[in-house]
Amino acid sequence: MTAFPDMTTGRWSLAGLATVVAVAIPLVISNQYTLSVMVTTGILLVLNISWNFVLGVAGVWNFGQLALYALGGYGAGIIMLHSSVSPWLALLAGGVIAAAAAVLLAFPTLRLYGIYTSLLTFAFAEVIQYVILNDGSGLTGGSFGLPIVPGLYSSLSLEASTKAYFWTVLAVVVIATLALAAVGHSRLGIALRGIRDAPAYAAARGVNPLRYRIFAFAISGFLAGIAGALYVSYNQSISPSVMGLTPMSVYVTMLVIGGLGTATGPIVGTILVQIVATLLVTHPGAEFTILGLFLLVVVVFVPDGLVGLVGRYWSRVAAWAAEDERAESEQAAGPQAAGPKAAGPPGDRAPAEPAESEDEGSPDPHVA
Amino acid sequence: MIATDIVGILVTTIILGSIYGLVAIGMTLIYGTLRILDMSQGSMVMVGSFIGWGILVVAGWNPILAIIAAFIATFILGALTQLVSVQPLMRRRNAIDFEMVTFITTFAVAMVLTNVALEVFGPFQRNVKSVVSGSINVYQGVDLPYQSLTMALVSIALMVGLGVFLARSRWGMAIRAVAQDLDAARLMGVPVGKLYPITMGLASALAGIAGVFLGGLYFAYPQAGDLPLLEALIVVIFGGLGSLPGTVYAAYAIGLIQATAEVIVGTTWSLPILYGVILLVLIVRPYGLLGRPSEARL
Repeated sequence: MTAFPDMTTGRWSLAGLATVVAVAIPLVISNQYTLSVMVTTGILLVLNISWNFVLGVAGVWNFGQLALYALGGYGAGIIMLHSSVSPWLALLAGGVIAAAAAVLLAFPTLRLYGIYTSLLTFAFAEVIQYVILNDGSGLTGGSFGLPIVPGLYSSLSLEASTKAYFWTVLAVVVIATLALAAVGHSRLGIALRGIRDAPAYAAARGVNPLRYRIFAFAISGFLAGIAGALYVSYNQSISPSVMGLTPMSVYVTMLVIGGLGTATGPIVGTILVQIVATLLVTHPGAEFTILGLFLLVVVVFVPDGLVGLVGRYWSRVAAWAAEDERAESEQAAGPQAAGPKAAGPPGDRAPAEPAESEDEGSPDPHVA
Repeated sequence: MIATDIVGILVTTIILGSIYGLVAIGMTLIYGTLRILDMSQGSMVMVGSFIGWGILVVAGWNPILAIIAAFIATFILGALTQLVSVQPLMRRRNAIDFEMVTFITTFAVAMVLTNVALEVFGPFQRNVKSVVSGSINVYQGVDLPYQSLTMALVSIALMVGLGVFLARSRWGMAIRAVAQDLDAARLMGVPVGKLYPITMGLASALAGIAGVFLGGLYFAYPQAGDLPLLEALIVVIFGGLGSLPGTVYAAYAIGLIQATAEVIVGTTWSLPILYGVILLVLIVRPYGLLGRPSEARL
């Protein structure tokens, strides 16, 4: 598989096994509360995967992602409420609306960098939230949100529809992960990482930042819109409270703890934080205090997130194994060739280097 | 009628601008020196307003004591924030994601402070007694509460004081030196390691004092810092990050826009209009009004 250079047979079978286990979950667990938490987690996963692409891979500090999520949700919800088209079309429409908004948002950010980008996109999100909140026409329902939206599975019973949503969301998560990982290793992904790590050099080599950034925003926005549409469909409602500082801080925590820019980071981070949040659901203050401390510790001590941490130790173990093999085979040839220098790159990297984005810390042949 | 509106707008502009300036100038000072956008400044406002509540309402002591206590407490808290959330990252200072990483860590500190306050004090809004009571009639129909007047005067005094401190004092000159050229400052013997916590403590202390006044104007509650933080962010972008004069001009410009918007279209739309203005400013001038791409700040 050329689209996934990092994936060995072992990793493919591990990923396949995880997917099979996930597919079987609704057949084993019948507790409605547990299942609904899982569906919500899945929807957040879609959102976080989309956000990770623009934040981690493209390196654009877009803090307007929740506005795109809300726009997709409201768009799909309003279509489901006020028209008789198939809800699946409404779902797609949510994605398209968010993608269009994302492209519009991409233009003003092109002249900015770093912190200014985050402020501009955050300002965009605030404006969207206020427009939704203070909409006079009654289309958005103000702070109460949309009334009961039929959703994708309005004909099914509650239990059956929860299962159906679980599988739908799981399918979207799997497709999104594979698609964005493939895009990340395609020419587009390489160009985006080039622009992220060395903007001037990438531009000098003929990579057009404008075109690629707009692509990145459109892809990420489309997926965020789909996540929003899934949200409105599953919850049968959406309100402006899906946006704002508090939810954003939780989602950023998820991404950073898992490992920004990696394919598996958002999945690990989202599930981990969601478990912590669910366990602490009766202590709202404690939940965020613990998340905040967690975030602080991870950023300071493990800059590439848990996935990066595991990847670093994994590659160190692999390097040791290679060294041992080398030493054994070279002992017969001559003792001086088996020095530690000959055993491949050490697992640690220079502290001044910016965080790498490659999956599991393994070097990417395309970027090198 | 129109004259009343205009006087009202001007009075509101001075009050809003002064208080925005006080919070935003701290963020500018930090950005100029450390190159980080400190998201914990809003929490410092919140801490300040709780200290105001504790000393003015619970203990019933003198307002001046409340201001001094808020200054000391938030200074220490700000210096600690620097030591915990920024100092460990300083060795990655030249990495391209340094600004974003410190943005996230200071944000994490804000999250912890807000939610510790939520755990300790609960989600209730607490009335902070005004530092001074009563009001003066400026013009027919326009009342100026002494609280707001004092707030504006103290803010202006503190901003001027900060300017003098930066221009004249040893530590102030050291802060400016670090902002201009870190390596040269270090070679001249500036104790950079000590300077960073002091800068962040000083900025936090300004926000803490703003909190005492804002608590009297609104309430003390765990999220009391969110709105001042958002408004200060608007001000610092508008003025250009790291430019002190730019921040002061921007604070009053933003105050004027908001006051005008409140009179013409009402309070609900004033913040979205501000954000709209910011979107435009950033599109036209990507570094704010007086901001420069790099170097030569403060």
